[in-house]
Amino acid sequence: MSVLASTQPRPTRKRLRLDISAKQALFGYAILLPTLAIIVIFRFLPMLQAFYISLHEYDLIRPPRFIGLENFIDLLQDPLFLNSARVSILYVVFSCVPVWVLSLALAVLFNREIRAKNLFRSAAFMPVVMPAVVNAVVWTFMYHQDGVVNTILGWFSIDPIPWLRSSRWALWAIILIGIWRATPYYMVIFLAGLQAIPHEYYEAAQIDGASPWRQFRHITLPLLKPTTLLVMVMSVIVAMKVFAVPLIMTGGGPADSTRVLPLFIYQTAFEFFKMGRAAAMSVFLFAAVMVFTLLQIRLFSRGED
Amino acid sequence: MRFPTGFLALTLLVSLALVTGPAVGPAGAGEGPTPAFAFPSENIAIEVWWHEYGPFTAYVKELIEAYKKVRPNVTVNPTVASSTDMNQKLTVSLAAGTGPDVMDADASYYVAYYSKGVLEPANLDVFGVKSYEELMARYVPGGLASGTFDGKVYTLPYQGNSMSLFLNNKLFAEAGLDPKRDAPKSWKDLMALCPKLKKVEGRRTVRKAFEFPYHSPRWQLQDLQPMTEQFGGKILSEDGKTAYLNSPETVTALTLWRDVTKACGDPKNTKNTASNPNQDFLDGFTAMWVTGPWATPQVQASPIKNEFTVVGFPQVDPAKPHTMVYGWAWGVNKNKPEKNKIVAWDFVRFMLAKPEEWLAKAGFVQPVKGVGDTEVAKKFPFFEVHMKDVATASWYIRSENVNEIAQAVGRAVDSVVYDGADPKAALDAAQAAVEKILKK
Repeated sequence: MSVLASTQPRPTRKRLRLDISAKQALFGYAILLPTLAIIVIFRFLPMLQAFYISLHEYDLIRPPRFIGLENFIDLLQDPLFLNSARVSILYVVFSCVPVWVLSLALAVLFNREIRAKNLFRSAAFMPVVMPAVVNAVVWTFMYHQDGVVNTILGWFSIDPIPWLRSSRWALWAIILIGIWRATPYYMVIFLAGLQAIPHEYYEAAQIDGASPWRQFRHITLPLLKPTTLLVMVMSVIVAMKVFAVPLIMTGGGPADSTRVLPLFIYQTAFEFFKMGRAAAMSVFLFAAVMVFTLLQIRLFSRGED
Repeated sequence: MRFPTGFLALTLLVSLALVTGPAVGPAGAGEGPTPAFAFPSENIAIEVWWHEYGPFTAYVKELIEAYKKVRPNVTVNPTVASSTDMNQKLTVSLAAGTGPDVMDADASYYVAYYSKGVLEPANLDVFGVKSYEELMARYVPGGLASGTFDGKVYTLPYQGNSMSLFLNNKLFAEAGLDPKRDAPKSWKDLMALCPKLKKVEGRRTVRKAFEFPYHSPRWQLQDLQPMTEQFGGKILSEDGKTAYLNSPETVTALTLWRDVTKACGDPKNTKNTASNPNQDFLDGFTAMWVTGPWATPQVQASPIKNEFTVVGFPQVDPAKPHTMVYGWAWGVNKNKPEKNKIVAWDFVRFMLAKPEEWLAKAGFVQPVKGVGDTEVAKKFPFFEVHMKDVATASWYIRSENVNEIAQAVGRAVDSVVYDGADPKAALDAAQAAVEKILKK
């Protein structure tokens, strides 16, 4: 029977005929699909889930209870949340602005013909490759009463500063680490931007008698605009999300002086088990980052046309 | 061959005596040979989670090997996590329905697990008792208080730590003091010693006489709670619904904390961290430090070696001593199959059967009766001091919001000590924050 069945002529099927460009496009989508699926499943779905949870009271074990916007209203009246938001803003402002200036200055310096340039570039990049946890532990020792930082201050007859054990100093200590760690990373991005500027512009300016400052002001800075935008947006987003260093070095203390928003979100979710409240904080953080990024893009694109 | 009836009866009696008779040593929760109950005969695997602490982990692994010999049909799969991560790992896994059969948690967290309905009450048959009262009777009074809810015992502690005062003998001798004769009994005594023990060179503190903990809000509450209770107050009501953070007693306790700190310590200068909470004492940087008996092996392994003395937790009134006990306990996951739960409680019973081994191998004191009579306890440095502090202690507060309460207390302490805030104002803020949390 089976032999007979196999000798039967197969019904003719209409084959879908695709031209070469459609086939290429299809192949391209097929390649993209796994990555796209991963991004959707592990990035966008959790984000949507966070929005959903932010409207609920949820302690992980008992079923979520819908409470509408209560979490958001509560947060706006919560002095701890407002303090945490303030600490985060201070961290972003006082770590990002110096990072922009320093990373650009270093990039300009390393873009020049100096001896052992590559060695210096590599050395400057070291803080970036060091894991955040190692950074935090090393700096904890450096900030101790008898650590390197206070020893150096002692050479100038300055009394030891309780860097991590004083609500006056702790945030500055954390900010300093942020600057130290981020500067070389953005320096590399600025360096790439600088190297993309045609050298002929500088030669022409030199022939016209432009001073180095005028060259920097009228050639380098305008042509670095897209790079600067990238650095500003990235650095603000990264600074808004700072977490490991304050968690390890101060745990948010003393007296909440270093409790940045991501740390407070983590504590609310995984120490206090208030997932809805933590998700609402995350939504606030997301909105703040989004608004700030759009604002930066708008400022930079003004006059583009 | 027929045995005479009398011989058979005698054999039966001897066997019965062997099975049910009293074991040598203290009366632990799982004391004595395996009681008679229906133990599953098929192959069963259970998951056991505990928090990382070197000697503790080594001992539990030893117990797992020993249990395999007694129950060859049971496989015990271990998971070890850091003490700081354990609570979140447990909560997340219990939420996902993948939690362990046997869990280990800080005793103060179990109230949250109980209220969320994930705890299985102790299996009385497994422990060979008829009632929870009978099980409680094996412990020192209040020994099971942290894990008893609505009259049922849900968790069994493997450590109930006293808070006692450790003194560095060498630093006492350097200051012309005798750690035995001059050991402080009260906070007043302690403050009187500080000028002799504290050393400052210029504006640098080179030795602290005494220090309170600042590395963790939970530790700060561990000290503020007994101090408040010494003044006749309390941090939280029994039902956990009312906080008394700005009561006159708590304010007085925090004021005392501030004054002791000014006279004896330098909180801006410390190497203590959550993972190394005793570091300043071990380094000889702090002469007096409050910690638990579990720190004894660490002290002995440090440059201090055996040159230390342990005395009772300082008191407001030494005639009316009051201190605090905190610890970790085993619990069983309610959402597991019945047979797993029987095996899980049997494994807990087996683990807790020899309190003297817990003391010898991990430095943990089980709050069971008779531990002090064992040879191990007699050799354990200052065991009687630790037990005396346990006897006058109340357990660390129980609340679903224990971490938030500890955070609020820690914030108040920090702002008083670091920023010079007024204790009453700082505790008013803490009370307002905690009231808001408890109201929900």
